[in-house]
Amino acid sequence: GSQVKRNAHHLHAVGKGDPQVYAGKAGKPAFGVGDRVRVRDELPVLFYTRTPEYVRGATGEIAAVAYESPAAEDETWDIPEAAPEWFYVVRFTMADLWDGYPDTATDTLQTEIPQHWLRAAS
Amino acid sequence: MTDHDHPHDHQRTVAPMVDEITDFEVLEVALRELCIEKGIFTAAEHRRFTEFAEQIGPTPAARLVARAWLDPEFMALALAKPLSASKAVGVDWMEPTGFGTPSDFTAFRILADTPTLHHVIVCALCSCYPRPILGNSPEWYRTPNYRRRLVRWPRQVLAEFGLYLSDDVEVRVQDSNQKQRYMVLPVRPPGTDGWTEDQLAEIVTRDTLIGVALPKVGVTTNVITDTRPAVHPIAQQP
Repeated sequence: GSQVKRNAHHLHAVGKGDPQVYAGKAGKPAFGVGDRVRVRDELPVLFYTRTPEYVRGATGEIAAVAYESPAAEDETWDIPEAAPEWFYVVRFTMADLWDGYPDTATDTLQTEIPQHWLRAAS
Repeated sequence: MTDHDHPHDHQRTVAPMVDEITDFEVLEVALRELCIEKGIFTAAEHRRFTEFAEQIGPTPAARLVARAWLDPEFMALALAKPLSASKAVGVDWMEPTGFGTPSDFTAFRILADTPTLHHVIVCALCSCYPRPILGNSPEWYRTPNYRRRLVRWPRQVLAEFGLYLSDDVEVRVQDSNQKQRYMVLPVRPPGTDGWTEDQLAEIVTRDTLIGVALPKVGVTTNVITDTRPAVHPIAQQP
C-alpha cells in the first residue's frame, strides 16, 4: 500500500482548505462587483464543463469576486499545470435567461463562473 | 459432504437481513475491499469518513441562524466570515481531512433573505450541498426534476412546496455549480418576540435553510408535500 501514488492535493491543501490553497495565485481580478459581463458561448464543451448551458451567451452582473482556483474543466482531468483563475458569482435576470419568464421581472439567478468564460459586456 | 461437516455453530449464525443482496451491494463490497487491499485507503479511514457522515445534520445551521437573529454582531460575522461563524456553532469546515471534505470544499456562503428578497438553492449539475453544516442532502434535492425545474420555474416549484411568494418579493435562485456551498439565512418570522435561541433554532428546519420553506411559529419539521397518486401504479401494470 505504501507504494500507491497519493493524491498530492491533500498534502498541499492541509491546513489551508480548498480553494484557499490557491489564494494569491491568479493575479488581479479582471472584473469587480457590479461589472456587466457576457458568458462566452463560443467555447467548446467537449467531455466536461461546469458553465451551465442556460447562461451561455447571456449577460449578467458580477455579484461577488469569489475565490481563486483552477477551472473545473482542468481539475477534472487532474491537469497539474492548470493555472488558477478568479471565480465570480454572476447574477442574471431570470427574464433574460428564459423566454417567456412570467410577470415577475425582478427575479434573478446566480451562478459561479470562472474568468475565462467571461467577457466585459458593452 | 453433508451440511454439517463444517465447524461453525448454526445457532450462532446471524441470519441475513434481506433475502437478496443487490448488485450495488456486491459492487460496493468489491470496490471497498480492493481499495483497502491496494492501500488506496485503510479500513480505519473508511470508518472515519462513515462516522463523519453519520454525525452531520442540520442542527448547527439552525443554531447559526437563531444566533444571528438574536445577535447583530454574529449576523455580521456570519455574512462576512461564514467559516468562522460555522466554528462558533461547532462546525469546522476543515474536517475531517485537514483541508475540508473533498466534495464540499471550504468556500461557504450564507445568503441573507430580506422582506423583499428570497433565496433558494439548487445544484443543477449534480447535488452539491453544504453537508458539513447541513448534513446530507434530501433525496428530492438530487432529483433531475428539482434540478431541471428550479432554475427556470422557481415560483412554480416553491408553490409545490407550499411556499407562495408575492410578486414584490424577488426570488433569487442560487445554482451551486462550482466550489462555493450556500445556505439561506431566512427572515425571523413574526410571533417570536422574546424567544430563546433554542426556541428559534427549533423552527429553522432543513427546508428553510435550502429556501423551499419559511420558518413559521409552530412548525418544527420539514415540508411534506401533497403528491398526486401515480396514474399507472406498478401493481396494476400487466
